[in-house]
Amino acid sequence: MKQPRTPDDRLLSAAGRQLSAYALMAIAFLIVLMFILNWLAGLTSSSSGMSRFGVDVENNSINAFLRNEPPQMDTMRSTDAISGVVLGHVMEGLLRYDENGELVAGIAERWEQNGTEITYWLRDNARWSNGDPVTAHDFEFAWKKVLEPATASQYSFILYPILNAEKANQGELPVDAVGVRALDDKTLQVTLEAPIAYFDRIVAFVTFLPAQKEFFEQTQGRYGADADKMLYNGPFMMTSWVHGASLRLERNPFYWDPSRAKLDAINFAHMTSDSNTLLNLFKDGQIALTDLTTQMLEEAMFQRWPLERFAEGTVFFTDLNHRPERLTSNFNLRKALQLAQDSDELVNRVIKLPGYLPGISMFPEWVQGVNGLLREEFPPAVHRRNVPLAREHLQKALDELGLERLPPLVLLSGDTPVARLQAEYYQELWRRELGIEIRIDEQTFRQRLDKMSAGDFDLVLSGWGPDYNDGLTFADLYASWNLNNRGRYINPELDAYVRIAQTSLDQVERVRAFGMIQQIVYDDVVHISNYERGYVYSTDPRLKGVVRRVFGAETDYSYAWIEAEAN
Amino acid sequence: MSISKIPVRTLRPADFELLPAQSAAPVIVRPSRSYWQDAWARLKTNKRALVSLYIIIALILFTFAGPLVWRVDPARQDVDQISVGPGVDRRAIVVEPWQAWDGSSLAPGYDSGEGLQLAADPTTQSVRLLWSEVPGATYYRLYRNLFSATDIDALGIPMADFSAGGRRWYEDLLDLQPREYFYSITAFDANNQRMDEFLTISADVTRVITMDEVRSKELGVDIDRLQLGDEVFLTFHPLGTDYLGRDMLARLMAGAQVSLFIGLLAPLLFVSFGVLYGATAGFVGGRVDQLMMRIADFVVALPFLLFMILFQVVFGIGPGESGIIPMLVALVLLSWPATARLVRGQIMQIREEAYVSAARLLGGSHMYLIFRHMIPNTLGVILVTLTFAVPSAIFTEAFLSFIGMGVAPPTASWGSMSNEALKTMLTHPHELFFPALMISITVLAFNLLGDGLRDALDARMRGME
Repeated sequence: MKQPRTPDDRLLSAAGRQLSAYALMAIAFLIVLMFILNWLAGLTSSSSGMSRFGVDVENNSINAFLRNEPPQMDTMRSTDAISGVVLGHVMEGLLRYDENGELVAGIAERWEQNGTEITYWLRDNARWSNGDPVTAHDFEFAWKKVLEPATASQYSFILYPILNAEKANQGELPVDAVGVRALDDKTLQVTLEAPIAYFDRIVAFVTFLPAQKEFFEQTQGRYGADADKMLYNGPFMMTSWVHGASLRLERNPFYWDPSRAKLDAINFAHMTSDSNTLLNLFKDGQIALTDLTTQMLEEAMFQRWPLERFAEGTVFFTDLNHRPERLTSNFNLRKALQLAQDSDELVNRVIKLPGYLPGISMFPEWVQGVNGLLREEFPPAVHRRNVPLAREHLQKALDELGLERLPPLVLLSGDTPVARLQAEYYQELWRRELGIEIRIDEQTFRQRLDKMSAGDFDLVLSGWGPDYNDGLTFADLYASWNLNNRGRYINPELDAYVRIAQTSLDQVERVRAFGMIQQIVYDDVVHISNYERGYVYSTDPRLKGVVRRVFGAETDYSYAWIEAEAN
Repeated sequence: MSISKIPVRTLRPADFELLPAQSAAPVIVRPSRSYWQDAWARLKTNKRALVSLYIIIALILFTFAGPLVWRVDPARQDVDQISVGPGVDRRAIVVEPWQAWDGSSLAPGYDSGEGLQLAADPTTQSVRLLWSEVPGATYYRLYRNLFSATDIDALGIPMADFSAGGRRWYEDLLDLQPREYFYSITAFDANNQRMDEFLTISADVTRVITMDEVRSKELGVDIDRLQLGDEVFLTFHPLGTDYLGRDMLARLMAGAQVSLFIGLLAPLLFVSFGVLYGATAGFVGGRVDQLMMRIADFVVALPFLLFMILFQVVFGIGPGESGIIPMLVALVLLSWPATARLVRGQIMQIREEAYVSAARLLGGSHMYLIFRHMIPNTLGVILVTLTFAVPSAIFTEAFLSFIGMGVAPPTASWGSMSNEALKTMLTHPHELFFPALMISITVLAFNLLGDGLRDALDARMRGME
C-alpha cells in the first residue's frame, strides 16, 4: 500500500540522506585508517630492515619461515626440530652431514677409532664467531655440561655410550670421570663403555656441539636465549632474534671453509605453521620456500610451481598401553585392533597427503641394512585387514578378561589437523568393525607428552624421529629401560635383541636383530603402524641447492645459492 | 431590572416513563479481544515475523522429525566419498576386488610399448603405469598433475623415485577421484642432473566399486543379480559429505539437536530464574532489592569463557566426553541477571501504577496483585527476552564448539562442523556453507520473531493495526 507523502516522510528521507552521508564518511574514514595502520605495522613489523622479497638478488639474501619460535638455542638442552634447523646453520660439530646426506668431517679434520678409544684431531683454522679458535676443551666442556645432573638435559642419554656417562648423569660419579678428554687444544680423546660401530654417526647430533666455557659462564645461565648470548662456529651466525617474530642469520666471516656459504644472509622472517598464511606469502614472493598441504596442492599445480617431495624419515604409530592394569595389555584385544585397520586406507583415502607413506614397519624406509635397505633385507610382515578374524580375537579377549562388553578405550591424540583426522577415523572404524567405543582425548603436544609419560591412556597417536643415522635409534624404542617406551612394553626377548644391536660390532648380526625386533613389534602388536611422514614443498625457482633431509637441519639453506637469470 | 418569576413544579413519579428498548440506536463496539488475540492479530500482519515463525517450526521439524525420515548414522564414514559436494555423479562400475600388482601383467587390450603408458584401465582403485628405460638414466621421478603437463619445471606432485635397473612400473593408489590425471616421468643422469625430456600420459579415471563394498554399503541393489561391469549408484548424500565422508544432512540434523537443546533449554532456565529473582527484588523493594541487585551486578562481572573452562574442570569432564552440560550450567548461572534487571524494573514501575494502588486500597492480596496485574503486564517483556535469548544461546554454543570447548567427536554441532570445515574452506566450501547457513538462518529467524513479538506484545500499541 503506497502511502501519500507527508511532511513526516520528507523529514525522514532527509534524515536518511544525512545518515547515509555519515555512513559513507565513516566507511571512507575506516578505509583510510586501515591503510595508515597497515603502513604503521609495516614500520614496526618484525621484518623491518629485512627485505620483503623471498629471494633478494641484490643483497644475496633470502627470506624463509620457521614453523614455530625455537624455545632456545642452547645446544646442550635443545630437543626440538625447529631449533635444530637454526643450529644446523650456525653451529658445526666434529662431524656433519653434507648436501648429499653423507657424513663428512666438520670441525674434526680426521678421526680414528681404536677399540673403545676414539681420537679426533680438530682443524687449526676452526674459529668461533668472536675469532677465538675452537678447541678440544670446548667439546669436553659442552659434553660434560650435558651430563651434569643439574643441566637436566633431556638428551643426555645420547651420550651414554661414553665411558661413565650414564653414571655421571645419574649423579653416581663426578663428571670428571667421564671418558672425554682434551689431550691438547686440537686433540680430543673419547673413551667408550664398549666398542660400538655407530658412534661417529651419533657425534653429528646437536647435543654433541661444542660451547666455549668462558663465554658460557659470562652469559650467566642465559646461554642461547638471545642472538648475542651465544657464540657460533658454523657457516652462519645469528645477528638478531626478535622473539616470536623473526630471526636473522648472516654469513660467519670466521668459518673455516669460506667457500661453503654462498648466501650473505638468511632471514627467518616469519614464524608460523599456518598453511594458508604460508601459501599466500609464497604466492606474493615473500618467502623462498613453503610446505604444501592437500588443500593447497591444486592451487600449486594450477600456478605451475615446481614441486618437490621430501620424506622426513619419521614413523608414526598408535602406541598401546601395556601396563598390566590396562585392558590393552591383553594380546587378543591388541590383535583385534590391529587386524581391523589398514594403514593403506588411512593414508590413501583419509589423510590423502602425497609424501605420506602407509606405515608397514617400525623402521622407516631409509634405515640401512647390511648392504642395502633394511626393509629389503628383512621385509616387514605383510598386513591384511581381516575383520572376521579381528572379531574372533575380540571375543577371545572378552572371554579372557571376563567381560560382556568392552568399556570405552581412551585414545590420546595431538591437536594437529592430521592427528585429529586420524583419531576420528579410528574412532568410527573400531566402533563400526568391532563395536569398541573410543573416547578421544585431544591434547596439546606438551600435555600429550606428560600424559604419555604418566601412562594415562589406552591408545596414543605417537611418532618417533631418528636422532642419528642408524636403525638403533628406532630399535631400542621398546627396550624395557627406555623412557620413551611410553606403553611400558616389557619383553626380555626384545630386550636381548636390543642388547645385540647396541653392543655388537658385526653389522650382519645387528641388522638381523633389527629384523627380529621388527617382527616382534608386529606379531605382538607392540604398536600399530600408521604412516611415515613426508612433505610436498615448493621452492622459488631462482633459489638452488636447498637441502631437505632426515638428519641435521631438516631444511638446510647453508649450501643454497641464487641464480638470478633463471626466472 | 427584575427577575421574572418562573413557576416551579415538583416532579412526580408519573412524570417519568420507561424508555423503550433502544433497538434503533446504532451499537458502536469492536469485537472484544483479549490481549493475546490482539497481539496475534498484530503479529500476523508482520510478514517478517510470520515467516520467521514458519522457519522456526520447519527447523524444529527438521531437528526432531528429520532423523526419522533421513535414517543415516551421522558418524558413519563413507571413505569412497570424502568431501564430495552435493549433486555429484555417483555412478560406479562393479569390478573385481583390488589385488596388488607386481608390474608384470597387462590388462587385456594393453600391450607394452615405448615410453610411459597405462597397464590397465585407470580406476579409482588404482592407476597402473609402465615405462621403458631411458639410456643413460640413473633414476626416474614420476609426477601426477591435475592439469596437462607442458612445462618440465612444473610437472605436478612428485609421487615416487625409481632407480634405473629397478622396477619400471608404478601403481598409484593415492586418493583417486573420477577425473582426468596427467602422469609424467623424467629421468636423471649420473650427475643427478635432470634430463631435458619428459614423457607424459593422461589417465581418465572411472569410479569403480567391488561386490563386497556394494554389500557392506547396502546400496539397495540386488547383489545376486549384480554382475561385473554393471553400473551401481553410490550412497546418496543430498548435501554432500564432510572430510571423513560423513553425511552432511545427517550431521546437520544431529548438530541441530545439540544447538536447539542448548538454545531452548538454557534460555528457558535462566529466564525463569531471572524472572523469579527480578520479580522478588522489584516487589519487595528496599534493602532486599539493593542486596539482590548487587549480587546480580557481581554475576554480570564474571567472565563467561573463564567460567566455562572452570566448570569443565569442576564437572570432571574427562577426555572425549561432551562438554554440553557444563556449557548449560555456565550459561544458566551467568546469563540470568539481564532478565532479572529487566523484570525488576518493570515490576517496580507497575507497582507504582494507579490501578495497582487502587487494587491494593480495595484490599487486594499480594497474590492477587501479582497474578492479576504484575505477571500479565510483564509477560510481554519476558517473552521478548526469551526469544532474544534463544539465538544468543545458540550462537554461544556454536562459538564454544567452534573453539573446541563444546561437543566431543563424533558428536556433531553446527559450531564444531564449521570449525572442521574451515581448513578446507577453499577446496570444499560446501562443508562450511551448510552449517554456517543453518546458524545464520536460525539466529536470524529467532531475532526477527523476537522483534515482531516485541511490537505485537507492546500494550501501548494495542489496537493499532
